[in-house]
Amino acid sequence: MQYDVEVNGQIRRVSIRRADARFVVGVDDMEWIVDAVRVDGHTLSMLIGTTSYDVSIAPDPASGRMMVSIGPVMLSASVNGRRRFGRREDAGAGADGPQQLKAPMPGKVVRVLVKPGEQVRARQPLVVIEAMKMENELRAVGDGMVAEINVAEGQSVDAGALVAVVRAVTATPAPES
Amino acid sequence: MKKVLIANRGEIAVRVIRACREMNLSTVAVYSEADRAALHVRAADEACAIGPSPARDSYLRIDAIIDAARRSGADAVHPGYGFLAENEDFAAAVRDAGLTFIGPSAEVVALMGSKTAARAAAARAGVPVVPGTGEPLPDRISDPDLARIARSIGYPLLVKAVAGGGGKGMRTVTEPAALLGAVRGARSEASASFGDSAVYLERRLTRPRHVEVQLLGDHHGTVVPFVERECSIQRRHQKVVEETPSLAVTPGIRAAMTTAAAAVARSVGYANAGTIEFLLDEDGQFYFLEMNTRLQVEHPITEMVTGVDLVRWQIRIARGERIDLDPARLLAPSGHAIECRIYAEDPDNGFLPSPGRIVQLRTPSGPGVRDDSGAAAGLEVPIFYDPLISKLIVWAEDRPSAIQRLKRALGEYVVTGIKTTVPFFTWLLNQEDFLTGRFHTTYLDEVLRSRNGQPFSASSADVEEVAAVAAVLQTLLAGANNGSASPSGRQTATADAVSRRWKAQARVEGLR
Repeated sequence: MQYDVEVNGQIRRVSIRRADARFVVGVDDMEWIVDAVRVDGHTLSMLIGTTSYDVSIAPDPASGRMMVSIGPVMLSASVNGRRRFGRREDAGAGADGPQQLKAPMPGKVVRVLVKPGEQVRARQPLVVIEAMKMENELRAVGDGMVAEINVAEGQSVDAGALVAVVRAVTATPAPES
Repeated sequence: MKKVLIANRGEIAVRVIRACREMNLSTVAVYSEADRAALHVRAADEACAIGPSPARDSYLRIDAIIDAARRSGADAVHPGYGFLAENEDFAAAVRDAGLTFIGPSAEVVALMGSKTAARAAAARAGVPVVPGTGEPLPDRISDPDLARIARSIGYPLLVKAVAGGGGKGMRTVTEPAALLGAVRGARSEASASFGDSAVYLERRLTRPRHVEVQLLGDHHGTVVPFVERECSIQRRHQKVVEETPSLAVTPGIRAAMTTAAAAVARSVGYANAGTIEFLLDEDGQFYFLEMNTRLQVEHPITEMVTGVDLVRWQIRIARGERIDLDPARLLAPSGHAIECRIYAEDPDNGFLPSPGRIVQLRTPSGPGVRDDSGAAAGLEVPIFYDPLISKLIVWAEDRPSAIQRLKRALGEYVVTGIKTTVPFFTWLLNQEDFLTGRFHTTYLDEVLRSRNGQPFSASSADVEEVAAVAAVLQTLLAGANNGSASPSGRQTATADAVSRRWKAQARVEGLR
């Protein structure tokens, strides 16, 4: 089987087939014999050759991707570009599509600084979310107009919740008639 | 004393419960709505709900906590640190309810809680204080008067809140032009944070270290100081790494500093565990900074090098027992201990808080390692409280071995679901200035600023390839075969087969 795996923004082609009790894995143009044991739902022990890798894998609710930890290194990964497609939509939005501003962590909305219809500049704070006694500003990525504010002051939000949508003014004229 | 209510949460509540259990005392936890499943609730013998999740509706509610003590029949209250630990009204309310407060008297808490009153007490005990205004600045001080006082202290100086702590209500002023704005800013921040807008001025020492002395006092007039703790590694005025002993403290400084600390404590009739904080100048001069009238977050490092259980002693002292520790032993550390405060923060994202569900947690252990934690897998790190989830403490024969051990222990941590400051500590332990002990209270902020947000854990192409393989295998194994580990179905071996193998192994062992 072939997979496209994106790790830290770079795509690698991984092929995999079972051979006896192991896997034969091709990464780009290299081939490895991998012995993999699933210790629990989030832990893999992999032996590549005789090198032992203890790998922890957890979903990241904010991005919908996998967080893969190997020793001190934690990497964000997605398999077969399903998530990547979603990401591309978001990323492309910075230029002229809608910017979807999501809560980077769970918290409480302490201030909503703008109203729908308002013009905003790049890096302008839109909403302040408090978590663990610290206030964090959610800022506009680029210039535009606030199309949606989906939260109210005092409300709790989950990580990844869509907080606001900002449309670039040039691409989308103001909806007011 | 038979039953102790712990008016706190997280790792420190668990720490106190452990001491109580070792002394055959029953324990009562209190919890907010967010903490129903928290470790301290599960570890205690009994637990009482005290209100909604925000701290002011639960852990800061004196009436609810006293009521919980009454309901559960507790006869003593341990405040931990933070929350109500240095609140004189709480100490008084506990006493008035006929319960034992495991801490100093309300009067001493009040006296030392005022930074200016504490400075005066230290000066009366003959201990040097950082030059500054002896009194809070008058509310309506005229601008010329303020400028004159500032000039007499000298620049750079600090504007500090009388009721302050944790860097709140504090401003650095390097030139006269910035003075008025700084005083105004500090007043409004102090008022918002502590409900008291009083501020005072203090000279800012250049590149001082933060060195503190733990002490115990009993109700019979005995005060014993302990070997110092070095707490200069701070991020935005919050300690993140502490160690003992300090590389900067010579035997002469230690003798003078611990004697001074004991003198301050004696002069106010201090009973229970407390800490005197000092600033240590580059030339070896030290100055009284403040007294913390409670157990300190970093108390375990002192326990590691002296073998004294400080929480146990807090309880013994509260019961009226006499301190019978050999004072010489407390000042002669055995080996070296270091603590890292593990926070639920994302160091690669400006140390932004990272609350959420802990998917997986594997903590370090092995020789010389202590993990004081309030976290567990499956638990949500709530958004309402301090992001400290755990303290990793190591002990070894000397400082270089302790650093090696700390690196090893940090490498054993597995935390997924949330981000933690573990990668930051791993980075810090490789910094030349840390290894050689050349640091001061603003060292970390300076070096972090100069790094400009570079990630702490650099990945390489090799590790990214391994991660790619792991991501594919996780997808494949999780989806396809019910947790079966490998194509051979190794993990789905039946219970019978496992049991057969165990028995066979037992027979082999029996033959030896």
